[in-house]
Amino acid sequence: MMNKTSLIAIALLVFMGFFPLFVDSAWLAVGTTFLVFAVVALSQDIILGRAGVFHMGHAVFFGLGAYTTAILNVNFGLPILATWAPAVLIPMLVAFIMVAPIIHLRGDYLLVATIGFNIIFIQVLENDVFGLTGGPNGLFGIDVVRLFGYDFSSQTHMYYMAFILLGLTLLIMRNLDKSKFGRAMFYIHKDEIAAQSMGINVRYFKLYAFILGAGIAGAAGSMFSVQYSAVSPEAFNVTQSIMFFTIVLVGGSASLPGVLIGTFIMFVLPEMFREFETARYLVFGIAMILTMILRPRGIWPVRFGNIPDFLKKGVK
Amino acid sequence: MSDYLLEISHVSKYFQGLVAINDLSMKVKKGQIYGIIGPNGAGKTTLFNCITGIYRPEIGQILWKGKDIKGSHPHKIAELGILRTFQTIRLFSEMSVAENIMSGRHIKSKQRWYNGVIPTPAYYKDEKENWEKVGELMDFFHLSEYATTPAGDLSYGIQRRIEMARALAAEPELLILDEPAAGLNENETLELTQTIRKIQAMGVTIMMIEHDMEMVMSLCEYITVINFGAKISEGVPSFVQDDPVVIEAYIGSDEDDDDE
Ligand SMILES: Nc1ncnc2c1ncn2[C@@H]1O[C@H](COP(=O)(O)OP(=O)(O)OP(=O)(O)O)[C@@H](O)[C@H]1O
Ligand SMILES: [Mg+2]
Repeated sequence: MMNKTSLIAIALLVFMGFFPLFVDSAWLAVGTTFLVFAVVALSQDIILGRAGVFHMGHAVFFGLGAYTTAILNVNFGLPILATWAPAVLIPMLVAFIMVAPIIHLRGDYLLVATIGFNIIFIQVLENDVFGLTGGPNGLFGIDVVRLFGYDFSSQTHMYYMAFILLGLTLLIMRNLDKSKFGRAMFYIHKDEIAAQSMGINVRYFKLYAFILGAGIAGAAGSMFSVQYSAVSPEAFNVTQSIMFFTIVLVGGSASLPGVLIGTFIMFVLPEMFREFETARYLVFGIAMILTMILRPRGIWPVRFGNIPDFLKKGVK
Repeated sequence: MSDYLLEISHVSKYFQGLVAINDLSMKVKKGQIYGIIGPNGAGKTTLFNCITGIYRPEIGQILWKGKDIKGSHPHKIAELGILRTFQTIRLFSEMSVAENIMSGRHIKSKQRWYNGVIPTPAYYKDEKENWEKVGELMDFFHLSEYATTPAGDLSYGIQRRIEMARALAAEPELLILDEPAAGLNENETLELTQTIRKIQAMGVTIMMIEHDMEMVMSLCEYITVINFGAKISEGVPSFVQDDPVVIEAYIGSDEDDDDE
């Protein structure tokens, strides 16, 4: 039997699937950005919403994916397809090296530490370390995806690639939620002492969340760099990390629809209200404050109780 | 190897100068129901926290089947088969009853690292088996009707049952109960007593802290009495009950309470 959430999800997927047929290229670009940022926000949600780790440096992983593709393509001439695997694996590796020493820190301390990593990351990019990152201007002239002599270079191609990436991400998160790993993250989030006492290795599962989140963010970064055929440091600064963090909390921690709504509000609405210029950010600031006061668990809060049907027999 | 499952030997635990546990020793036999009693603040919960790895005692040994486990991580202790409940209930209160109990299956689940992302046939089998076990436990503890209810929405008595079900889901060898009857009414306490007997009959060794003397005396085969972190008496219920030192400690502690 289909529940309401799955129906909404399918309706949304169908809508997103046909979206390119109805809009001009400007809106198509907005749509693509939404898809890419939704993937990043979902990957932030694995760390923040599920494992409950106050991580405010997610733009690092997003940026690592983008720069990996950019550097390998622009500096070393690798085809985009060949950069995909490294764009996922390098953020995962960096996540492990960067987070393993600080994973035991309490929420607020860890938050500051992750912001520190983000600041260092931007410094490294701007200082053109090893002459690879292109300094403050970044890198441009990134190729498009080519396969069997075809060029996937149009906006529509970009859109559908991002669409597939979002679909894959949602699938992974669904699998995660239905596994021992996703549940362990929730248990740690809700009560770390109780989780430990049930035999859950807190460190392992927090790192698992980080590494998985970093890999997905890296994939989104790779796609982002191809979409704009350029990368530059300011797209991956602390402000961006704050945005991803905020999306999760405003939309609803650990709630897939919540995070998608959050992404829509933070990235698509600003596009729709362009004529209001900067005044729109005032509205968003107020909206963020109001959400936290009125709906502290987010616009669409997570609902637990996702258990096999045979266990619901006795429920009255 | 000794016939004792758990041996606590000359354990001391300090909190900034306060001696919470003072040179405490005790031995728990396999299959026993072992009681720990003592006035408020005696150090009973601290002892359980030392056994389960939440605290590391400064002095002494905690031997599990002859091996020192002092200072091990709590999750390592749980993996050994030592599971507990908490004096102040610690459930995952936003999550459903079934999901709470499922946390006890964590150490029994055989899912591999990649099953967090990709399901495999072995994953489906494992997942199903664990949920079935959760179903059995919900039946045993009369919780089936609350399967999807958030644990935090339920009454105190029911929450205590969920906590026990969760610990039991891990198929422990030693079950540690910190005041399981606290906050229960008379009927619930009676039911709990029967439940604990059934758990013992499954072959689980039980250690419990309890203030309900009637329950302790009827259930426990052996009792250690603690006051100010130190053992003041031990023995079978009938002995401990009439030990003048124990009676003195309880009366004395009442007076202390009045002074405050
Ligand atoms: N984390 C801690 N830090 C400092 N002191 C502590 C800590 N935990 C316990 N204590 C102190 O250690 C002593 C023993 O406390 P404990 O909780 O073990 O008592 P208890 O015997 O379980 O009492 P009760 O019957 O009230 O539950 C108390 O004086 C308490 O204040
Ligand atoms: Mg206590």
